Amino acid sequence: MHSITVNNLTKKFGSFVSVDNISFNVKEGEIFGFLGANGAGKSTTIRMLCGILEPTSGDALVGGFSINSEPDKVKSSIGYMSQRFSLYNDLTVQENIDFFGGVYGLSGSNFRERKNWVLEIANLKGKENLLTGLLPGGIKQRLALGTAVIHNPKIVFLDEPTSGVDPISRRSFWDLINQLSEEGTTVFVTTHYLEEAEFCNNIILINAGKLVAEGTSEELKTNYINHKIIDIECDRTVEAMEILEKETFVLDTSIFGNNLHISVLDDVSAKKSVLALLEGKHSFRIRKIDTIVPTLEDVFIHLIEKG
Amino acid sequence: MSIKRINAIIIKEFKQLLRDKRYLFVLFFFPVFLLGMFGYAVNFDVKNIKLAVMDNDNSKESREFIKTLISSEYFILSGYIEKDSDIKPMLDNQDVQLILVVPQNFSTELAKNNGKPSLQFLVDGVNGNTALIINNYITSAAMNFNAKIQTGFAEKAGITSLSPINFQPRFWFNPSLETTKYLIPGLIAMILIVTAVVSVSLSLVREKERGTIEQIKVSSVNTIEMLLGKAVPYVCIAMLNGILVLIAGMLLFNLEIQGSYLLLLLTTSIFLLAGIILGIFVSVVADSQQVAFTIAVFLSFLPSFILSGFVFPIDSMPPIIQIITNITPAKFFVAASRSIILKGAGVSAIYDQLMYLILYTLFFLILAVLISIKKEKEL
Amino acid sequence: MNTILHFVKKEFLQFKRDPKMFIIILFAPIVQLVFLGYAANMDVENVKTAIIDRNRTTESRLLIEKLEQSGYFSIEYYINDYKEAEKLIEKGKVICVLSFPVDFDTKLSRGESAQLQAIFDGSDGNTASIAAGYMIKLVAEHSQKIVLTARDKSGKALLIPATISAETRNWYNPTLKTRNFMVPAIVGLLLMIVTLILTSLAIVKEKEIGTMEQLIVTPIKPHQLIIGKLIPFTILGMVSVVVVLTAMRVIFNIPVRGSILLLFVSSFFYVLSLLGFGLFISTISKTQQQAMMLSIFVVMLPMTFLSGFSFPIENMPYFIQMVSYLIPLKYFIVIIRGIILKGVGIGILWDEILILFLMGITILYFSSKNFQKKIN
Repeated sequence: MHSITVNNLTKKFGSFVSVDNISFNVKEGEIFGFLGANGAGKSTTIRMLCGILEPTSGDALVGGFSINSEPDKVKSSIGYMSQRFSLYNDLTVQENIDFFGGVYGLSGSNFRERKNWVLEIANLKGKENLLTGLLPGGIKQRLALGTAVIHNPKIVFLDEPTSGVDPISRRSFWDLINQLSEEGTTVFVTTHYLEEAEFCNNIILINAGKLVAEGTSEELKTNYINHKIIDIECDRTVEAMEILEKETFVLDTSIFGNNLHISVLDDVSAKKSVLALLEGKHSFRIRKIDTIVPTLEDVFIHLIEKG
Repeated sequence: MSIKRINAIIIKEFKQLLRDKRYLFVLFFFPVFLLGMFGYAVNFDVKNIKLAVMDNDNSKESREFIKTLISSEYFILSGYIEKDSDIKPMLDNQDVQLILVVPQNFSTELAKNNGKPSLQFLVDGVNGNTALIINNYITSAAMNFNAKIQTGFAEKAGITSLSPINFQPRFWFNPSLETTKYLIPGLIAMILIVTAVVSVSLSLVREKERGTIEQIKVSSVNTIEMLLGKAVPYVCIAMLNGILVLIAGMLLFNLEIQGSYLLLLLTTSIFLLAGIILGIFVSVVADSQQVAFTIAVFLSFLPSFILSGFVFPIDSMPPIIQIITNITPAKFFVAASRSIILKGAGVSAIYDQLMYLILYTLFFLILAVLISIKKEKEL
Repeated sequence: MNTILHFVKKEFLQFKRDPKMFIIILFAPIVQLVFLGYAANMDVENVKTAIIDRNRTTESRLLIEKLEQSGYFSIEYYINDYKEAEKLIEKGKVICVLSFPVDFDTKLSRGESAQLQAIFDGSDGNTASIAAGYMIKLVAEHSQKIVLTARDKSGKALLIPATISAETRNWYNPTLKTRNFMVPAIVGLLLMIVTLILTSLAIVKEKEIGTMEQLIVTPIKPHQLIIGKLIPFTILGMVSVVVVLTAMRVIFNIPVRGSILLLFVSSFFYVLSLLGFGLFISTISKTQQQAMMLSIFVVMLPMTFLSGFSFPIENMPYFIQMVSYLIPLKYFIVIIRGIILKGVGIGILWDEILILFLMGITILYFSSKNFQKKIN
């Protein structure tokens, strides 16, 4: 069962094509990662799916409703949290929750229950009367998520929810996302932290408005890279990279931290050649040389450079 | 104070200003456009007064008086009325501004020696100023009519004159008593100061809201350097604006500048500087764009309109209000620029206004710096 | 309906959090009304005058006394020649210079015409024309008195022809004070400024801080949002109406001759039309700065100059008169001056009130329409 179905969605701003004919499906209850560089078209896509930006062509069904013909129904079945924390800083926690609950038409015991739930997930029980503007970033963000899903939507869109938040708050925020997903909510999330993408059930990658890859994190790592990656730890890394670049068996080189990554077709013979070349011929000191599983970062850099 | 640091801020401000083409357009287009439009709208000339007549006498003499009245450029006859009850609704509805009632005995009384025929004029007095001028026109019309009768009589009686005092007022600088040229300098003052205060205060507070000022403060720039650096680009823009508006005024309204161009330019520059300092003062006091806008409007818009002497003569205000008029630099500019433009006055006639302007500027500059330093300490 | 109420509540809570703004909005108009109300006065009194008296007799002094006693002229200087006069006028020290010839009294006693000259600083055409009018009238009265007391050679009173006298009666404002005319218009001006400041930012502020995006994804409808914004501002606007009108009544002692109820009803429509303008600006602007520039240049300044507040609309060129039809303040000034000064009622003012109402509804409709719940 799909909760989002996107068909040939395109958005042009003048002559600039922001989203170029993309199609994909999102399964019910999954955490769906939507990745891409800044300006790749992530926010534009999300805004179209939320029914606040009209597509130039194409359509999408969100929660079973068309974003073109039933944007109002789309709006009542989704929650949305944008890059900026869209709460009123000059209202208290309680007032913000009351306002958004009211706008979504909640009332009675259901409202009380949801309000409690929001306060709980934001760790703000007993601090309802604090001004929202004075809350620390991590807490504010949890409150923003809570108010965005106060009406218990089936689908929630999170646009870069963790940008500008410290690593610990980020980790606990992802726990919250997992919790939502376990309760059956479909979570559609964009991020540029690739380690966060690992938490997603399914991922798509767009570049310059085009869809370039999709699948689970494992699938991406195995399907899109048909060569092996060797991680080399040695002295004079840059010099070593310059030497290896000239070799025909090396498809690609890049520096990862202090280490050197090279892409090759046959990792066993390549390791031997590298050792012979660097240690034998140029007397580098190699401390470690291993075949590694590519990270998503490897995959994306590879895909984007190829595209 | 370091010139280098001030320079860095000036360059940055200029770049930001020049990048925002739309804002620049607004800043340059509107002052000239509004001057062009309002210049045609501002005048107090009272002409074409709509007049209704109730002629109860209906004689040759009464018709002759009415004829002399409407042959002047001041009165237009919009109709006759028959009964008293028509008078009130006509005035209530503003159909006419003036109703003349000629009494039944007008011609018989006029024929008598020492007779005192009276004509009744009912004036819509709501606008006291216009009504007063209408009153004056009526008085003149009646006097002229009398003079005509008396000259005829004097000739017959062999007397030289029946008007012992021959009074002839003359009007200097503006013999036709047009009001537009007198109002244009005030209009220029108002448009320029509103533009300067609002644009400066909004830009600075916007930056404050966005937090970039914090960034600058962390660097070694001090408050005075920052204020100076920010003021310079706006002074340049405002100056350019001032020149454009003056040229537009000259071209559109045939404003002939009797005095020295250089002196006018100097006066305008000092005035604009005062306006910009006022804008900086507002931005220091206000923390949000909305508050800045509100203060800017209440400090620049209405005072430059009402307290500057632009429309309402300062001499007619109560003494306390006359003191309060010093709140707006437009007051000094209006006085000085009128003298230069209309009377051709030189430095000696206006140096006191210029001194006031400079004092005003310094006062608000110091106040802005003091408040800014105090606010910084509170942070 | 519930959604709108939540909106209204939120707006009021936000007012509460920004007391600085609230105080400014509530009290600034009163302070301004006091200053401006006392300042907005075109009465010409105490015209500063210099005298060149080359005659120095009781005859010349009699006339000078008469001028001074009238209250219209205040004699500031006695000078010797026109050179001095020129300086005084140029510096703005006097507006009028009155000059008596050497033979003023002898000519009068011989029954000849004596020349009396006055120079007025014409640069302020309005003041000059009014001042000259006063002087003409005073001199004519004086002249008439001399004629009446004159005797012919045999000592008999002169037989003179009839002179017509123009009795002017100034309706609504017998003393021709300009303050009562100006203060109600200032009320209109202040209401315009307050409501525009409030509403022109209402929507664009939320766009700038990002909450608008959050609101757009909720199921709230555009008209609900507009109405939700409108209600609190209307309430504030009406509070402002009450405050300013009360201040006008108490401080300037200007009685309302007509119906107070009608005054409030038409103020309500006026406020509504202004809120419409403000919200419209707010929906078309992208930033607060834009909204404020638009409201000052496109609304406030034109409204001030083209409303008939101080410059008669009849004098304006045809094209500008056309523009003035779009200005709510123009209608409100007619209404408020009509009700307060003339005591006229709905029978006469219905068309202005109707226009304000239609204007408000139309522009609010366009704001709501323009405010698509989309972003671009």
